[in-house]
Amino acid sequence: MTLVYGIVWIVMAAFAVSAVAALVWAIQHGQMERFASAARSIFDEEEPVGRPTDAFPTSGLERRS
Amino acid sequence: MNRALWLYLGVFATVIASFLGLVQLPDHQLRGLEPVRDESGVDRPLRPEGGVLAGRQEYIGLGCLYCHSQQVRPDGFGADIARGWGIRRSVARDHIWDPPPVLGSMRTGPDLTNIGARQPSAAWHLLHLYRPRLTSPGSIMPEYPFLFTQQRLELERPADALSFPSGDPRPGWVTLPTYRAKDLVAYLVSLDHSYPVPEVRP
Amino acid sequence: MSELMPSAAEPQNEPPTRAEIDRSCRGPLLVFIASAVFWLVIGSLWAILAAVKMHTPGLLTSWEPLTFGRVRPVHLNMTIYGWASMSGIATLLWLQARLARTRLPLPNLLIAGGVVWNLALVAGLVEISLGHGTSVEWIEIPLFWALVFASVFAVVMASSLTMFARRKVAHVYVSQWYLFGAVLWFPFLYLMANTLIHTGLTRGVTAAATNWWFAHNVLGLWLTPIGLATIYYLIPKVIGAPIHSYHLSLLGFWSLALFYNWAGTHHLIGGPLPAWLVTVGIVGSLMMFVPVITVGINHHMTMVGHFRRLKDSPTLRFIVFSGMSYTAVSLQGSLTSLRSVNEVNHFTHYTIAHAHLGVYSFFSMAMFGALYYLLPRLTGREWASARLIKLHFWASAGGLALYWGPLTIGGWLQGLRMNNPDVPFLEIMTDTLPWLWGRTAAGTLMTLGHVVFAWLVVTMLRGSGGARPASFAAATSPIGEVKQ
Ligand code: HEC
Repeated sequence: MTLVYGIVWIVMAAFAVSAVAALVWAIQHGQMERFASAARSIFDEEEPVGRPTDAFPTSGLERRS
Repeated sequence: MNRALWLYLGVFATVIASFLGLVQLPDHQLRGLEPVRDESGVDRPLRPEGGVLAGRQEYIGLGCLYCHSQQVRPDGFGADIARGWGIRRSVARDHIWDPPPVLGSMRTGPDLTNIGARQPSAAWHLLHLYRPRLTSPGSIMPEYPFLFTQQRLELERPADALSFPSGDPRPGWVTLPTYRAKDLVAYLVSLDHSYPVPEVRP
Repeated sequence: MSELMPSAAEPQNEPPTRAEIDRSCRGPLLVFIASAVFWLVIGSLWAILAAVKMHTPGLLTSWEPLTFGRVRPVHLNMTIYGWASMSGIATLLWLQARLARTRLPLPNLLIAGGVVWNLALVAGLVEISLGHGTSVEWIEIPLFWALVFASVFAVVMASSLTMFARRKVAHVYVSQWYLFGAVLWFPFLYLMANTLIHTGLTRGVTAAATNWWFAHNVLGLWLTPIGLATIYYLIPKVIGAPIHSYHLSLLGFWSLALFYNWAGTHHLIGGPLPAWLVTVGIVGSLMMFVPVITVGINHHMTMVGHFRRLKDSPTLRFIVFSGMSYTAVSLQGSLTSLRSVNEVNHFTHYTIAHAHLGVYSFFSMAMFGALYYLLPRLTGREWASARLIKLHFWASAGGLALYWGPLTIGGWLQGLRMNNPDVPFLEIMTDTLPWLWGRTAAGTLMTLGHVVFAWLVVTMLRGSGGARPASFAAATSPIGEVKQ
């Protein structure tokens, strides 16, 4: 049992260290800058900024009836 | 090492930290709790066994926990003690024999931590389980007819037949508790955490 | 693990178009979505049964599987593991595919996973109904079936992380952070909690702490990240404007990641646990003000100037309602972790109302919004009726309001009076009855919405709504002039 606990704790400590590493990675690799372009990364020529992409249906049962 | 792996681990680590704090640490702290011997030489809390243990399983399987808590909050926090639900707050030691304790999170019905002390009569509990509105008018507790059987009244009335305040509902028939009902009631009657513990000063 | 890493060897061809991505999702996602909608409707029936049994306890008492103590956990597990998790997984996979700009990997395994998930759920629910449930809240399903769920999680994880690793976009969009978190956190939580509790590795009150660490994180680290990822993608996408502050959105993610998973033990305030453990839960809950307020401000500022689009877009209605509910439910949650508040609301119907504000008003509404957006793109068909979509929205939103308001008030009064030892218990119980009747009415209204939604989904799958306009974007702009 003590061994299991020992392993659990060591693994956990390793994870804790990696959390910090992840944050450092994110900062060093530009994930925390160029925010304007990041926010626009979901738009492109196909679906540009300024064009809505959803509306109530206009065809379907109601039009048919 | 690939940097994406760092990412995986990093985001993961946040939850690991809470696992350490909320699960491992308390486990470490509470693992060594022992029963205490009361003045008559009995180790408390009693380890549930036999019918009581089976009754606990019924309590779990029937979902009594969705309406009843089993935890007495400390003096000055809520009115649990003033309501007579216990003479002291519940402590971790009360639950050392419970794999998962049935602390509950709802009080649609009263707290049952000490129901055995408050209501030690098995006959009352059986009648209450059969039809709560007989003992507690207006109760919204469900009835548990499937824990009982009906039997034609022979010459002699069986000792454990339910006795209704206004006579048997169906004349000539008696209502008998099944083993499950008896176990459940044995469990309820066993619920008594009034013994003193060192954590709570009287 | 190497499969999950971006590999230089991968062909550097053009990323697929959105339509291609959506099409690649079709099979697996339809399995998950159709199942989710099925569980939504069935789960609502069990909900109504439980609600009615609370004020009319004599109903259906002789058949054991329908006793209240089983109907209630069956309802919870149907809605959490059936509806919420299955619609959540569908949305998660689709969002990740779109954001990473890759086709959905492992489609066949995912289809099999969806089927296995349903079977495990049915088995788990039957077990609970037969009295083999564990009565450990949110993990009532016995260990064996929990392990089956976990194996499906493994497939979802592999698919999602593969997409993340293959992403064709340099920036990790904020939604991806959330999805990434959800897919890593939840399987771990689920596996840990189930094995620790059901094998007896944690005993006594530690098991209770484990229980609430898990149960709170189902909302916090599974449903919330999926819901927020959906909102962060769909609000900008539907209105065609980037989110207000990307900076705030990242702050929101990291603060949620750091604080939310500590909040669970506030469910045990006043309980038999070491004081520090409960205090940690309270601190974690209060720290949640940071992510919640940042997210709330961000969503609101993104919407400013676009609110009139709520009239045009079914998705936007549901999503914005969901976003506002997120702020509300989180602030309420932080407040209820304060000892003075908790002293009153704990153990009462107030908590039930709060839980529905989270899982329904925030999460389920986000999923409705996502599915209204997603299904036409998966199937290439149009919704059958704008009027019915509106009916669904108003039944759900109105039903929720009717549910939350009265039950919150009723629960608060119940708590106040419970803390006054001079009021007899039976009197308090009797006085909750009108509020409980109100809940049944509200639940019926919500169920009506679900039936309408299910009908819309079925007609869509059968194709009776008609085909989608070939060029949807062209057909719908300018959007303001669309006639109903
Ligand atoms: C729908 C909620 C509900 C469920 C489920 C429920 N109860 Fe109750 N219970 C109540 C209510 C309300 C009362 C108070 C009225 C009364 O005494 O019947 C109560 C009272 C009690 C009492 C008496 C408490 C006292 O202080 O006098 C006991 C004992 C009890 N319940 C046991 C059980 C057991 C055992 C089960 C599971 C088989 C169960 N209850 C399931 C609601 C419930």
